[in-house]
Formats: sequence, structure tokens, C-alpha cells
Amino acid sequence: MGRYLRRRLLQLVPLLFGISIVIFGVIQAAPGGPEGSLLAAGRLVDPSVIESYRHRLGVDQPVYRQYLNWLGASVKGDLGLSFSTSRPVSSMITERLPATLELMGVAFVFAALVALPFGLFSALRRYSLADVLGTGASFLGVAMPVFWFGLLLQLIFAVRLSWLPVAGTGTVGASSLGDHLLHLILPGLVLSTRYIAGWSRYFRSSLIGVSGAGFVRTARAKGLTESRVVGVHTVRNALVPVISVMALNIADLFSGAVITETVFAWPGIGRLFVQAMFARDYPLLMGILLMGAATVILFNLVADLLYGALDPRIRYE
Amino acid sequence: MKMRLLGASLLILAGCGGGTSAGGGKTILRVAYEREIDVLNPFTSQNLADIGYTMIEGLVTTDEHNRYIPVLAKTIPTKENGLVRAAAKGTVEVTWPLQDSVRWHDGVPFTSKDVCFTWKFVTSPNSETYNREQYLNIKDCRTPDDHTVVFVWDGEYAFYDGLFEAILPEHILGKLSTEEIVKYEPYNRGPKTIGTGPFRFAEWKSGEYIRLVRNDRYWRGRGFPKIDEIVWAFIPDANTRLNALKSGQYHYGRIQPNQVKDVADLKDYQTHLVSSNSVMHLDVSKRTAHGALVLGDLHVRQAIFRAIDRQAIADQLMEGTVKLANSPINPTSPYHKADLAQPGVDTVQAKHLLDDAGWVMGSDGLRHKGADRLSFMISNRAGAADRIAVAQVIQAQLKAIGVEVTFETLESAAWTTKWRSGQWEAVVSAWFLPADPSLTGLYACDGANNMTGFCDPELDVFLKRSDRTLDPVARKRDLDQAQERLVATARTLPLYYNVIPEVVSTRIGNYRGSGTNFGSFWNVFDWTLAR
Repeated sequence: MGRYLRRRLLQLVPLLFGISIVIFGVIQAAPGGPEGSLLAAGRLVDPSVIESYRHRLGVDQPVYRQYLNWLGASVKGDLGLSFSTSRPVSSMITERLPATLELMGVAFVFAALVALPFGLFSALRRYSLADVLGTGASFLGVAMPVFWFGLLLQLIFAVRLSWLPVAGTGTVGASSLGDHLLHLILPGLVLSTRYIAGWSRYFRSSLIGVSGAGFVRTARAKGLTESRVVGVHTVRNALVPVISVMALNIADLFSGAVITETVFAWPGIGRLFVQAMFARDYPLLMGILLMGAATVILFNLVADLLYGALDPRIRYE
Repeated sequence: MKMRLLGASLLILAGCGGGTSAGGGKTILRVAYEREIDVLNPFTSQNLADIGYTMIEGLVTTDEHNRYIPVLAKTIPTKENGLVRAAAKGTVEVTWPLQDSVRWHDGVPFTSKDVCFTWKFVTSPNSETYNREQYLNIKDCRTPDDHTVVFVWDGEYAFYDGLFEAILPEHILGKLSTEEIVKYEPYNRGPKTIGTGPFRFAEWKSGEYIRLVRNDRYWRGRGFPKIDEIVWAFIPDANTRLNALKSGQYHYGRIQPNQVKDVADLKDYQTHLVSSNSVMHLDVSKRTAHGALVLGDLHVRQAIFRAIDRQAIADQLMEGTVKLANSPINPTSPYHKADLAQPGVDTVQAKHLLDDAGWVMGSDGLRHKGADRLSFMISNRAGAADRIAVAQVIQAQLKAIGVEVTFETLESAAWTTKWRSGQWEAVVSAWFLPADPSLTGLYACDGANNMTGFCDPELDVFLKRSDRTLDPVARKRDLDQAQERLVATARTLPLYYNVIPEVVSTRIGNYRGSGTNFGSFWNVFDWTLAR
């Protein structure tokens, strides 16, 4: 197990290196440059100012040299300065991360609390009216565009009913824990809908698949109670594929939800990414994307380790 | 009943947790702001505007009539008041008397040395100030005393009174190099962002808001400002911003022209259509070989402009929220030529012009000249829904005279790179001009932002002469002729003057919206907010 873990962690280094080359290449291949932000406000800018700006940012150098400069600094832990704010990329990411972790964390916990019991219920009451309705609702949840659903909830709960705030994380000058929680409801609900819809379907299918397996039949033949058959033998085995999906989704905790954060003006990583993209803020984009890539790889590893915990047949070599 | 209970419990939730009451009795102006800004340095920021001018004042600002008015200057120097005078070797001395007893937010007195320091910063090579070149004609800055500053210009420049829109604090930034100032985080992001304005920096919560608090030592007197705090909440999504305003949670916000009807009946709010100093126009270029073949021909351009129904665009597409444009200069400017006539819609005449130019209608409904098809491409900026919609209308209207319009849609940064390269044929665009506009950069042969390949020496004479005079009558005469020349040569087709729809709570008093680069917060010191 220890050797396996070490080997997987060591693989992270060349993997991230390769990813960094791909990301840098893709970012550079996109037409336009950071000077676009100088003209975005519609002001007429002196061309000499544009050249001076490009020179300061180093984007007038060959692409390979820009990459080597970035790589040289980042291996020392320096992700560079943001083009648009001249601030360290690491600080900008760090200050946005808590908002994303909180929103995604709440959405995750809520989604898990709803999706797993709902998936179980659907599997146990297969093809009942509730199951059919639940399946329909799940498809709707997956199919609904996030921005549309977000705006719809704003219109109902903030504009019509005046129950909830439209956007942000709190009312400045009147902040309280309750006020903050109110701000969390709508974006949390929008985000969790997608996960509830997906996870409950996965869990339902997995449960149905496992419930036909030989060991479940044997458990019943042994005379175990139905609750023990389902609770101990079926659910535990059916969770393996669901855990894998959830673990991959956990990477979203760090990369943020681009659309939801934008619609609800939530100050997380997702919104920072959008800003960086439009400003062609290469160092900030690199920082966010690499962090996203690293978390996906790490949580893949976590999922692999969890398989072993849930299914003793799986061994690590 | 259950719904009421749910609503009531949410309200209770809002109150729990022991936070402060709604502002603790303070008047807090809540602005639903359309973008998060980059830095607080007014010269290096690309999008600061309103927030900056609320904290950091300059020698001048512009009022709701698009006029420059003094702020840190006691008066605007002119030849008439004797503060602009010819000096040795063709130079011109411009004397700015400064307000007495102005202090920076940290209590240090504001003096003429701060003004000269600002001039040195802006004109240094790496200051990255967007209009740095306009300052380069100032050859010296003198400080006869703490409250007088004299600029020595190398000649007469018409735009001398519109510069120095902000002043930097020498005692904070004076020991830093230009490069260091550009990156200096305490000034770029607070807490060392200090100005002389009615509000001072309090807090910037990344991605969320900037909070400014009342400057109790404001130089206009103890009665100003009349509001305790301003919170600029960053809500970049236009639909969310609209919902935020409709929910009544904000006092002020800007919306899109096509959202105006959505707030027509919004209780306790008024929507002001502020005329912006930006004109939506169709620009054509002859820098590419195909562009030169098609759009380099005056008759073709005239035909195209005659086939575009601008009134329909203004009335129907923009739902009557905008005003038809006849010139790149805004009607609120004294240099706008009100009687300038753009060609009216006349498709018959347009067809004749194309016939005369040798473009023959083919069986495919398009015109041809030999192997060439009368076609050009409009480069659209992705996400600019209004401009794309205008381009689509133009496409449909030009089809009627046998002209094919194709599109390419580029993301904003890519569009900018393409525009700068000059390798495009047409764009629907809008530039934000200062209150006293110089058209030279856009339309002169060597204009820094003339990317069209067009060069009209006759126009150059009017433009350059208009820039180098301090006589408003002579300047008006030249700019009138320049505007006429632009019509005669069909270089650009002004479509409509952009408006900035501003949704303002009726609780706000003394709001006087302005569409210049200084924005509507130019008199925020005087705003009131009813409780």
C-alpha cells in the first residue's frame, strides 16, 4: 500500500509537467493577447502603451522562452504575477478558494444527503410511480441549463417573493451568519441539483445490478433480514462505482463552478477563471488550470484507495 | 400558510447570528456594479472609472452636460481669464490655481508638487497610461507656490483642459520608480490608495465588493459627502444585475438597452438613459486586398451606406432607446455639427451607384465584377450582442442591393488583435471618446488608431489644425469641416449614440447622470440617500 501510494504520487510529477505543456500551448494558441483588455473598455489607447504593456508582461518573447520562464519560477513555488492585477497568482487563488470550497462543499453534502437515499428508494421501489417521477426529475436536473435555472430561482425567490438575496455572499454592513446562509441557498441548490440528478441515477443502477448478484442471493438464503441484506451486502458493494464518480466530482471543489459562480456573483475560483480567460491573464490561467488538474489526479487516487476500503478483494501492488 | 411560514423563517435566519443591523444607522449606497476592477491606480487601471473618481480627484471632471468643470483646480485656465498665455519660443504657459486646504485622506496637505509628480509619472516611458501621448507635449511643470501649478506646453493644444483626471500622492509613491508604482500593491489594492475625494478606501473583498467610507475631512466642507458609505458589489452578469435591481437590494446599477422595458414599471426606481460619449458605427477598411477591391471604391461605400436603414436599427432593434447618430462627435459636445446630413436610405440610388461602379447583378442575387463577387466580411466581437444584432440587420439590408455580408466572430482579445493588425474588412464598433474629442487618432492618415488604410490629406489639415488651436471658434470651424469631409468620403457610418441605461433608486437625491469617461458619480459628494 505504501509503495503503491509513493509510486502514484511520483507519477504526479511527470504528469503535471506534461499537462503544463499542453495547457500552456492551448492558452498560447488562442488568438489575441492580454493587450486586448486595454481596449476592452472602448478607450483609444496609444500603440506605444500597448507595446510597453506587452514588454512588461514578457509576452513579446518567443513562446518557448515564456514557458521556460514560467516553469523555472513555478518549480520554486512561484506561480508568477497576474497580468491584470500585478498580484501573486498564488495569493489570488488562495483568497478565492474558501468561497469555492464552501459553496461546493455545501452543494456536495446536500446532494449526497438527498441523492443516496433517493437512489436507494428508487432501486427498492423500481418502476413505481415515485421511481418514474424521480427518473424524470433527474433527467430534468441534468438537462436544465445552469444559468437558466439560477436566473429562474432568482426571479422566484428574490424578485417575486423577496425571501432570498440575488447574489454575493452577504449583505455588506448588515452581515450575520444567518444572512450568509441565506446567500448560500440559491447557488447551493443550483449546484447540488446537477449532482443529485447524476448520483441518484448511478446509485440506483448500481444497486439494481448488485441486488441480482450471487452473494446477495446467498445472504438471503442464509436467512438474513432484508434490511441487513440491503444495508450490509447490497449498498456497500453498490457504492463502489458511485464513490468513484463522487471522488472525481470532488475535484470540482477546487476548480469551482464557472457558471453558477458567475450567475450568483459568488467570489470563487470559477469566476476568477472567467476573468482570467477574458483578460488573457496567462499566469493566472496556468495557476488555476494546474490546480484543477492536480486535484483531479489526487482525487482519482483517493477513489482508487477507497475501492480497497469498500471492497476487500481489491489489493494494491 | 406554509409558504408564509417559510418566508418568515428565512427572514428570521437573516437576522440571527448577532451581526450588525442594516448598516447600523448609516446610510449605505449599494451599487450593483458591472465589473470587478483590476487596480485602483487611476492611470494604469483599464476599467476603474466610477470607483476611482469617487476616491481620487483630478484637476477637472465633466458634468452632466459634457462640460469640463474644475475640481482640485479653482478654475479652468483660458486665454480670456489670463491663465493661458503665450511664452518664449512658441511655448504656452497654462497656470492652474489649486484649491486651498485640500488634504489627502491620510491628512497630508495636497500641493502643486503632487500635480507635477503625477505629470512625471504619466509621461515616463513605462507608466502604461492609455493617453500618455497627450501629456508628452507638456515640456515642464513648475510650482511657484503650493497652490499654483504651471505647465509649459510646446505649443497650443486644444485638449489641454481635459487632462489630469486624477492626481497621485507624491508622499506615498514619490520614492518608487515608475515600474514599481505600476506594481505597487498597497496603492493598487489598498490600504495605501488615498486620494482627496469625498470617500476613502475601506475594504476590497476579492471578487465581491469594494467598500468606501465617508471622508470626514473632505475639502468641500463638513456637509459633504452626504452618504456614509458606498458598497460597489461586483455583479458582472447582466441578467443577475437586472434581478438584483428588481429585487430592491441595490440603489443603483447599469443595465443593457434591451433590458430597459423590464424595469419600466419598477417601483421606487427611475431609469435614466444617459447619453454616452460613444457612437456605434460601421467602419470599413481597405488594408486587405479584397477590402481594397470592394471597399476602396467610394461609390461602393456610398451605396452600402445608402442601403443601411439606420433609423430602423435605432427604433426597432434598439427599441427606441438610442438616438440616431450623424457624427462621431456626441451631440452634447459644442463641437458636434448638428446640421450634418448623413445620406438617407435610398436603395434605388444605391443600386445605381453600384451599377456605375461596374458591379453587375448576377443570377445568384449578388453583384459581380468579372470573377469578383461584391462581398465583405464583418468581424464581430463575441458576446457583444448589440453589435452582432446590428451586423445581422446590415447583412439583411445589404442583400437587397446585391451585396453579400459574411461574418466572423472572434472572442474579445482575438478581435482586438485582429483590429490592431488592420487585416479586417468591416467592424461594427464603438469608441469611448473624451468630452472634448480629438478625431485625429482615429481618422488622420497617421492616426495611432486609424487601422482602416484610408488617408485623406484634406481631412488631415482640418483635424491637425483643430488640435493645435486654443480658439474655440476656429476649432469648431475645423471640426465642422472634418465631420463634413468624413461624410463626403464615406469613411465611416455613424449608426446611433449609445446610451447607458442607469437604474437609480428614487431614494437617491442629486443624481445627475453623465455619459463621459468620468461617469455618473462625478458629483457623488452631493448625493443624498433617503432612509
